[in-house]
Amino acid sequence: MIAFTDIVGMDLAKQALMLLAVDPSLCGVVIPSAVGSGKSTLARAFADILPEGTPFVDLPLNVTEDRLIGGVDLEATLATGLRVVQHGVLSKAHKGVLYVDSLSLLDSSAVSHIMDAMSRGAVIVEREGLSEVHPADFMLVGTYDPSDGEVRMGLLDRVGIIVPFATQNDYRARKKIVSTVLGERNSEDTQDELRMLRGLIEAARVQLPNVSMTKEQIKGLIQTAISLGVEGNRVDIFSIRCAIASAALAQRTEVDDEDLKLAVKLVLVPRATRMPEREAAEEEMQGPDEPPPPEETEAEDEEAPADTPDADAEEEQEETPDMIEELMMEAMETELPDNILNISLASKKKAKSGSRGEALNNRRGRFVRAQEGEMKSGKVALIPTLISAAPWQATRKEEKRKKGIKTGALIINKEDVKIKKFRDKSGTLFIFMVDASGSMALNRMRQAKGAVASLLQNAYVHRDQVALISFRGKSAQVLLPPSQSVDRAKRELDVLPTGGGTPLASALFTGWETAKLARTKGISQIMFVMITDGRGNIPLQASYEPNAEKAPKEELEKEIEAIALSIQADGVASIVIDTQMNYLSRGEAPKLAQKLGGRYFYLPNAKAEQIVEAALS
Amino acid sequence: MTQTVKAAKKTSSSKAAAPAKAAAPAKAKAAAPSKAKATAPAKVTATPEAKKASSKKKSAMAFPFTAIVGQEEMKLSLILNIIDPRIGGVLVMGHRGTGKSTTVRALAEVLPLIPRVKDDIYNRTVEQYVEAESGKKGTPAINPEEVKTEMIPVPVVDLPLGATEDRVCGTIDIEKALTSGVKAFEPGLLAQSNRGFLYIDEVNLLDDHLVDVLLDVAASGKNVVEREGISIRHPARFVLVGSGNPEEGELRPQLLDRFGLHARIITINDVAKRVEIVKRRREYDEDPESYVKKVTRDQQKLQKKIVAAQDLLPQVTMDDKVLTDIARLCMNLGIDGHRGELTITRTAHAYAAYLGKTTVTMAHVKEVAGLCLRHRLRKDPLETVDAGEKIERELAKVLGEGEAAA
Repeated sequence: MIAFTDIVGMDLAKQALMLLAVDPSLCGVVIPSAVGSGKSTLARAFADILPEGTPFVDLPLNVTEDRLIGGVDLEATLATGLRVVQHGVLSKAHKGVLYVDSLSLLDSSAVSHIMDAMSRGAVIVEREGLSEVHPADFMLVGTYDPSDGEVRMGLLDRVGIIVPFATQNDYRARKKIVSTVLGERNSEDTQDELRMLRGLIEAARVQLPNVSMTKEQIKGLIQTAISLGVEGNRVDIFSIRCAIASAALAQRTEVDDEDLKLAVKLVLVPRATRMPEREAAEEEMQGPDEPPPPEETEAEDEEAPADTPDADAEEEQEETPDMIEELMMEAMETELPDNILNISLASKKKAKSGSRGEALNNRRGRFVRAQEGEMKSGKVALIPTLISAAPWQATRKEEKRKKGIKTGALIINKEDVKIKKFRDKSGTLFIFMVDASGSMALNRMRQAKGAVASLLQNAYVHRDQVALISFRGKSAQVLLPPSQSVDRAKRELDVLPTGGGTPLASALFTGWETAKLARTKGISQIMFVMITDGRGNIPLQASYEPNAEKAPKEELEKEIEAIALSIQADGVASIVIDTQMNYLSRGEAPKLAQKLGGRYFYLPNAKAEQIVEAALS
Repeated sequence: MTQTVKAAKKTSSSKAAAPAKAAAPAKAKAAAPSKAKATAPAKVTATPEAKKASSKKKSAMAFPFTAIVGQEEMKLSLILNIIDPRIGGVLVMGHRGTGKSTTVRALAEVLPLIPRVKDDIYNRTVEQYVEAESGKKGTPAINPEEVKTEMIPVPVVDLPLGATEDRVCGTIDIEKALTSGVKAFEPGLLAQSNRGFLYIDEVNLLDDHLVDVLLDVAASGKNVVEREGISIRHPARFVLVGSGNPEEGELRPQLLDRFGLHARIITINDVAKRVEIVKRRREYDEDPESYVKKVTRDQQKLQKKIVAAQDLLPQVTMDDKVLTDIARLCMNLGIDGHRGELTITRTAHAYAAYLGKTTVTMAHVKEVAGLCLRHRLRKDPLETVDAGEKIERELAKVLGEGEAAA
């Protein structure tokens, strides 16, 4: 185990953890970082700088709901005949640290429970006959690799500090890491350093209540949050606590500019939804530096004009292209003759959609009900088992006694056993891949948007999710990561750039990556919905090497074929929707469908509903 | 449930050295060991009696309702539902970190007291109790006058996402079944929430089978339990309060339709207001008890105002013309069914009563129309006009028409 003080680099992450140690009401630190950066080593070493005996719970990614929030203790209950409670992982982390490695891979129900516990400081257990409240007031320390996907915003919102993403340490630092791993460090030095650091944090904790902050400083942080477009008001408290903890760590009684900057860096910037103009940002940061104006009202007057033109400019910038896009889309729609070559898919509609995501199974998903079954075939549902055994206890004991057999508190026979049935609640993930290149892009985009929206309208029924990837220029881009939210889709798909080359290979690759990631989160059924004419002209290489824009046709085809076949072999279902207006120049899209092992639809003027029907048929 | 964070039975036992939470004594307070629990056996669940006792104990530490800055839509929706529970609850959707759950959890403190049959697990009124129990299975008739009653605060029950169906609906009391062979019913959260509020945070993430249960019970006002050899039906009428962030997922339309009101909540971008929020929060965090004490008068004032509105409600009347306008508004907005009209009518009555008025006018309707109708408009993802604006536009038209006709 490498000690906190022996870890080289990642200074900001270290600083963040120290601030959390000083003020646990910052609620947590999330560290996004690439593989091999040592983030998990650092997070685990966090225990070094906490007071001795502070719980440190490592949450396994495959944690079950029972283990997470607590439930009935099987063994003890059987032994005593009384209902015995087993505390969950969340309550075991009470007054300590809950550590999650690969936070973005944690399944969504576990994330919900963590969020709920963090908002109450407790876990409410209302399951299997239990009704309890267990205190669970913990600090969440999470690390993840952003290439594994993002962490749910709701969870990040409850964590005070998000360390800005850093990819690599510099060469020298890395060399030192290696030497540390090889054990060159003197363990006595390490112990001394740790002791010093703990002392520093202890002193900072004592200092914490004595640190003061001016109203102007508070205002400065709030204004920065607003200009960065940070959602919610909870962040204000976090940024203030962060600044105060930083001052306390420096043994100061007043918050200074450095503390404010650190709070902006660690609390606000990582949550920004927009970047303010450079001058505007600096102005706001400098706000607190200026001599405080004598009257509060004056201060507000002074700040107002600085804010207003900024906001206006923003609105103009955002709305104009949006309006143009809307107009163009409408224009395109009227230009296309209705019903030309339309294929009605209504007759092909199958009842298949109703059955998706409904299957009960013995292991995965959400516990739904208990059924009779073999003990080995699944997880035993204790309470139902006990209930079916209860009426027979007197007679069974009597029988055993007659036979002279000693019995425990309870006699459970095989036929009493009930096992849990789970519902795997994940439905299908539809990954839309939309060709945003060339002149038909806007029309395709509009169709795709409509189809995404329409699918999401019904998503709650099957727990379906939708993702959208657009491809144009040199590479594909995930515009909408897997989501169930109409609102989110609406927001993310608002403005879409179009035109340029057709990086089909990159699209397939990106889609496949998205699919693989979704698999790790328990989504098993994945369908690609490709809206394209199938004519790729940009090699995959171009997505990471800007100069590699051209490649011979055969090579491009080979590349696409290789990826498409792998996707097919991986069990991903596909459909290809050909929107090519010129009937005669078809040919590429059917080939693509064939390589993907998917179906092909020729829908030059497809309505959103038709695309949805095609996807569900 | 909300206000009763049970004391830790095993407060980090040997590992006593917990980090000092200087700025969050609220949470720390809730978790602090209390004398009552210190002697309880380490892990075994409390007996039903003990459970009841502890759930009655009210911790006054929730952030006070009246100290919440802004978010008037949500606060008004909740208050109107206290005044008239038939409005059908409220769905609060909006940005993260804007105080949704804080506000709902603060509600308990301003709720008035209601009478119930003493120790009744279903919080029944004397009438309900007599109707259900009198003459049951050959037991003698009960004289309503002999039934003892007690005053309890309107219950606010928290339904956590991880709840299992047996705890929601109630099930056989397993301990009694095992130890004495008696089939006793152990009531669930639905029983506890009868005549009170049932709150679901992250309601859009609630499991489908629990949504089914809720829809069923909300429609009938009764909970019917037929399982494990017991057969129980009990009243379960509650005000459903849900909150969530629309970006986390959609709500099932049937459930959406169940909510009387839909309050929207967004990030406050007014610096002065946010400074005030921070100020109050910090003051509260420093010393919750004295902060709560400081605003007691505001809380009592609000409670009194609510009770006065409840008393006034039966006398509130509405002109037929106003009703016609409401119907026209709903028609113009293309709202299916009559739940829209009904909700506006009830909500406007409650709103008038809250303002101390005995006649509902279109001005009252105007204030509540958005709350009542927002979620009933057909949702078109490609629509750029906000539902609220649409309602306002139609409202203006209806009002214009009304004036022209007059």
